[in-house]
Amino acid sequence: MKGISLIIVMIVGSMLIYGTLEMPKWGDPNAPAAIHVSPRYIEKTWEETETPNAVTSVVADYRGYDTLGETTVIFTAGISCILLLRKKREKAGGE
Amino acid sequence: MWDFIVSKYNYWIYIILMMIGFYGMMAKNNFMKKVIGMNIFQTALILYFISTAAKRNATLPIVEYHHGHGPGIVHAVDFINPLPHVLMLTAIVVGVSTLGVALAIVILIYKRYHTLEEDEILGSKGK
Amino acid sequence: MEKIISNSPALIVVIPLISAFLTLGIGVLKKKFCYPFAVIALSLSVFSSVVTLNTIIKTGTIHYHLGGWDPPWGIEYVVDYLNGLILVAIAIIGLMIVIFSKETVKMELPERIPFFYTIFLLEVTGLLGIVVTGDMFNLYVFLEIASLAGYALIAIGEDGAPLASFRYVIMGTIGACFYLLGVGYLYIMTGSLNMADLTQILPNFYHSKVIMVAFVFFVVGVAIKMALFPLHTWLPDAYTRAPSAVSALLAPLMTKVGVYVMIRILFTVFRPEFPIKMLHATDIMAWFGTFAILFGGIMALSQTDFKRMLCYIIVAEIGYMVGGIGMANALAIKGAIFHIINDMFMAACLFLVAGIVMHETGGHDISDFTGIFRKMPFTAAIFMVGALAVIGVPPTCGFFSKWYLLLGGIEAKHWGFVMALLLCTLMNVALFFRVIDKGLYVHALEHKLEHASEPKELQFHEAPLSMLIPGFIIAIAIFLIGIFNQAILKNIIELAIPSGL
Repeated sequence: MKGISLIIVMIVGSMLIYGTLEMPKWGDPNAPAAIHVSPRYIEKTWEETETPNAVTSVVADYRGYDTLGETTVIFTAGISCILLLRKKREKAGGE
Repeated sequence: MWDFIVSKYNYWIYIILMMIGFYGMMAKNNFMKKVIGMNIFQTALILYFISTAAKRNATLPIVEYHHGHGPGIVHAVDFINPLPHVLMLTAIVVGVSTLGVALAIVILIYKRYHTLEEDEILGSKGK
Repeated sequence: MEKIISNSPALIVVIPLISAFLTLGIGVLKKKFCYPFAVIALSLSVFSSVVTLNTIIKTGTIHYHLGGWDPPWGIEYVVDYLNGLILVAIAIIGLMIVIFSKETVKMELPERIPFFYTIFLLEVTGLLGIVVTGDMFNLYVFLEIASLAGYALIAIGEDGAPLASFRYVIMGTIGACFYLLGVGYLYIMTGSLNMADLTQILPNFYHSKVIMVAFVFFVVGVAIKMALFPLHTWLPDAYTRAPSAVSALLAPLMTKVGVYVMIRILFTVFRPEFPIKMLHATDIMAWFGTFAILFGGIMALSQTDFKRMLCYIIVAEIGYMVGGIGMANALAIKGAIFHIINDMFMAACLFLVAGIVMHETGGHDISDFTGIFRKMPFTAAIFMVGALAVIGVPPTCGFFSKWYLLLGGIEAKHWGFVMALLLCTLMNVALFFRVIDKGLYVHALEHKLEHASEPKELQFHEAPLSMLIPGFIIAIAIFLIGIFNQAILKNIIELAIPSGL
């Protein structure tokens, strides 16, 4: 098992490193990620949402549905822990 | 050549971290080590995303404002990219939740088999 | 009414979500009200999904902008012909299984009823959310909701369940993290997360190494989630040891949603010429599909546990669908998409029968099926419909999707896939006749001994009505889908085939 795992890890790691050869440089202000979608979030955050913090306006306004999903994930995890770990009540007449 | 390494070494460090976590998840026998490997893998993935947000000579994405009126003209090149930070807020929460559910399942396994080593459990299941 | 129709894509997901929160509150106060509340919530969701499908047939693809922000700056829901049909199927099966779950949950998990229904509704929310979204990161969030709920639901089962669920946790997290890695590699080269936007931007980058690595990670991550052949090892243990209602919910739905995600990524985000002509990925997928079919069929023949046999049949069915995608012509993709719908209903029918038998006899071994045709004739009838559908006998729906897959395989001249399909049909016949043989045992026994009165354990003792009615509805649906298959294919599925094939 350890031998096969080592081979799989080497293959996956080398594929990932092969992929990084053409990536934009670290911190490049002309990278596609910095030009395409995000300038509007920074430039219009005060006009459209009256919030100076751009991360807050994205999390709560532009992509607020993802935050609803995130809250649901926490709720699911909490109720799952109750579902898994709840002990039977010893006394009779419990709910 | 040095230019190439300096501009890409962050990605390589995160990939090595991811592979350490991935190896731990697959190859180790103890269930707690598998769970810790899972956490390392997810954390390295989050670090990789955050590194795509950086910009040279840029500051935090909080625009200055004076009471009453806004900041005037804002150039996006002065502020770092907020979108990966937003995505990773959600990913951190998802990672923590998965960790919680995995640990609850490990508790259930321990209560039943009284050991956390995978080979001992698979050996004793024949009983 | 106008507002309901215009907001129906969002209502499909939001109604079970809010009901999950409310079920917890209601259930802690009064346990009896959880079950009716969950049934009402899922019926409203079925209603919204039917309204959405109706709107799509009349007016075409729906683009719903959440929060009013235009994509790609906001999240959007894109419901086209492919989505709409799968949404209706998921909602209907969720409703049927929640009606079915009342008796089995009372028998297997008596003290955890409110929490069970909460997590059940959250699981259906997650599955619906994966299918309806048009944004890559939103898909990841809902994938994790569905996965977390699934891990918890499986771990509360019978004896080896936490161990099976832990293996599913590890493999499922690897799959979801590979998907997120793929999204990250795509984001760093394009800057966008919206599926429609990526379809526009990506053709400039088809020769880039980053995009190719991203594609490989997408395919491997989704393959783990949908249990394609070498990565299927979590499936048999997890679905066998789970409680009956949980395996009846997860087995039809979770893996088929994975097939839907793969069709979306392969043909909508990356245009069809990328995986077919430039990477030849579909050739590799066709061979993996063929091996999955053979592996699933052979392993199913050697099982003595009924639910484990069904799990290996599911592995083979995923092989049909992935092989159909791998053939890469319009006939095979038509068969694969139709097979998604059919397999949801067939697997729901068979796992429902397994749940009924477990409720009556306490086990899910094949020997527990002894005398079922005399003891529980209605259950046996539902089982026969499911078995005929898996084997592929007309007029059940299974025949038509296999027919199109065969035609697609012959047109692509992939004889390995065609041979595997025909062999697996023969193996399915052998499998189900083994179970039917046990079920008819009492008739052979009766002819041998000539007793006036029947022995006690072979008397008529049918399952409760709340478990039979969903079974009948699903069996009737299997026949209706088969009889009306041309209507469904022409009006919906042929318009869902990605252009360029």
